[in-house]
Amino acid sequence: MMYKQSNNLFLPLMNTQDFENKTEVERSEIPTLREPMTEAQRPETEVRHLDTSVSLVVEDTSVEQSLISHPISHISGCTCEGHTTNHARMQTAAAVAGLTATALLASCKKEEDLLFEVNTVGLYSSAAEKDKMKSNEQYVSILYTNLFQQAISSSDVFSIANCFDSIGDQELAREVLISNFFNDDGVQLPTIEEMNADIETFIVDTFKRFFVRIPTEAEKTWVKNFITSNPYMTPELVYFSFALTNEYLFY
Amino acid sequence: MKRREFIKKVAATSAGLAIAPYILPSGRLFAPSGYRSANHVIMVMFAGGVRHQESVGMRYLDDSQIGDPYPGNIMYNMLNGAAPTMKIAYGTGEGGELPIPAILSQTLQSQGTLFSEMQALSAGHYGGLNSILQGGLVSAQGLRQRPVNPTIFEYLRRHGGYAASDVWFVGNGIGGSTPLLNYSGNPDYGIQYGANFFAPGTTFGEEGFNYLADAKVYHPENELAPMYAMKAFLDNTFAQFGQSQQSLGNTEEEKQNIKLFMDAMYEKVANGTLALPPVTDNGDLYTMAFACEVMKWFKPAFMAVNLSAVDTCHSNFTGYVAAMHRADHAVGHLWNYLQTEIADIANDTTIICLPECGRNDEPNAITDINGWNAYDHSDENALRIWSMMVGPGVPSNLTLGSEGNPVGLVSDAMLAVAEILGVKTDVMNAGYLAPGTLSLFDHF
Repeated sequence: MMYKQSNNLFLPLMNTQDFENKTEVERSEIPTLREPMTEAQRPETEVRHLDTSVSLVVEDTSVEQSLISHPISHISGCTCEGHTTNHARMQTAAAVAGLTATALLASCKKEEDLLFEVNTVGLYSSAAEKDKMKSNEQYVSILYTNLFQQAISSSDVFSIANCFDSIGDQELAREVLISNFFNDDGVQLPTIEEMNADIETFIVDTFKRFFVRIPTEAEKTWVKNFITSNPYMTPELVYFSFALTNEYLFY
Repeated sequence: MKRREFIKKVAATSAGLAIAPYILPSGRLFAPSGYRSANHVIMVMFAGGVRHQESVGMRYLDDSQIGDPYPGNIMYNMLNGAAPTMKIAYGTGEGGELPIPAILSQTLQSQGTLFSEMQALSAGHYGGLNSILQGGLVSAQGLRQRPVNPTIFEYLRRHGGYAASDVWFVGNGIGGSTPLLNYSGNPDYGIQYGANFFAPGTTFGEEGFNYLADAKVYHPENELAPMYAMKAFLDNTFAQFGQSQQSLGNTEEEKQNIKLFMDAMYEKVANGTLALPPVTDNGDLYTMAFACEVMKWFKPAFMAVNLSAVDTCHSNFTGYVAAMHRADHAVGHLWNYLQTEIADIANDTTIICLPECGRNDEPNAITDINGWNAYDHSDENALRIWSMMVGPGVPSNLTLGSEGNPVGLVSDAMLAVAEILGVKTDVMNAGYLAPGTLSLFDHF
């Protein structure tokens, strides 16, 4: 199955009509991205893996040091200085190589757990599920991804968050930022022709892109009527209004 | 419907529509009048912890550096007094040997009233700024927390009916929780009565230029109006789930005006035509340039400006006196700009300057490149501040109080703003003022 990036989640690339034709059970089987695990949710095995690595390093060092500190001549019986040193070096090298190989074999264990992976989490069934407000950083990251279809760099997020802090009216700050983004050639927008060719699909896709949910019939009807009755309404202005809504501030 | 009934209903509806825009958020039909000595007030929060001895005390090095008995006034736009003649390190050029020439031909002290010693309520910056803007300070006020009690911005907007763009806060930066000061967390006031805010160093600095300066221009009626209409519909549908986000309350017209201002500022910065003071070599002077621009563009009823560069005194006394000299230069530039470039409101504007806190009597262990001691702010001496007020109805050439004989509290300044702009009674009735707070006018 193909995936497209939306709202930092990977949603299945599926025709809206197909989706609506499916039963509830079929819809629930559509795979989507699982949210990143929190610290508390991380599996214990990952921590154990890190602990093992640390203890191996410590063990290697101590064994190596103990071998070097014991004269090899006690083992071979020869007491001449050169022989003793060569024997000692060879034995030490062999011991170190053996231990290193053992350590490498032990540490080359297949990683069992992943921090991020695709999992089955559906779209929001309703806007009512959104009760947490996005931070400025989250808002900026998600907005950028929604508009440019690619991730924003962390330094850009930091700088834009600073810009938000420097303006008292946050709504105004969002408007100015969005209108700056729309001056960038990289914004991924449907054309007006594409919007008008299948306006219902455009509306559903826009709701999914920005609100991560399917519009209600009332919403679909109102937005459709509004777009068709306003000749100046473009995909850009529709995206602009969605990006400014209160719902877009929550998740 | 009968013709008579129809006419009655139309008349009633028309009357309602005509009156509705004038009903204030507080429910009043008209704003209260109050003292109203001026229609515009500027408050300069000066300037990051100023020691009484070097500012109003005019003792330069005499009271701070052992073996340097050189007094003098380094704030000669604001205060009467001769400048130091020895060991000058606060000016421009190598070693700061060249003092910045005075901008004002007549000091603010001679034009208005100096409260030569007042009592601060906090020895810290954020606490001090809160005490100025709230007219008091609660012990529960924490850092990284919005003011616990309402600020003067909110009193003015809620009780005075001022629009959002009538009330401004120009900050020195985005650090130290400064952006949180434009409205409180008080449930009866809050964001819908907050002030517009810019931290010019960021908004119009490199970061602002990179991400905000290239805004696309939309047609306000053909494009923005339907865009806002769709947003309103979507917000209404989301509001049924109990989640909403209140805003500062700038109208669409105000927002457009602020966007135009931002565009103009980016252009001015790029063209080098900003209202900069004659010397602009630190952040406070840059901040003051934008305060001048805000004053000229919006002609707000109230604007607070925060300067902070003198706080370098924690480790650099030389930098401290240089920053204090520049803060005076900034205030002189603001007052001069008002008289020359915004002349239509010059005689209708009052300026109040006061530090949020002072500095310690004893130095810390740090010395700077001149071997001068540095000072923190935590002791009784750090609660010794002063204030200055100039404007219509303010007695000129008057000094109240003296060293060791303080007159007034830091919170008096906020109540004076409330008095000038007509909300003094509402502020007092709200019950959040520090005990003993009077308006500065009450001391005359």
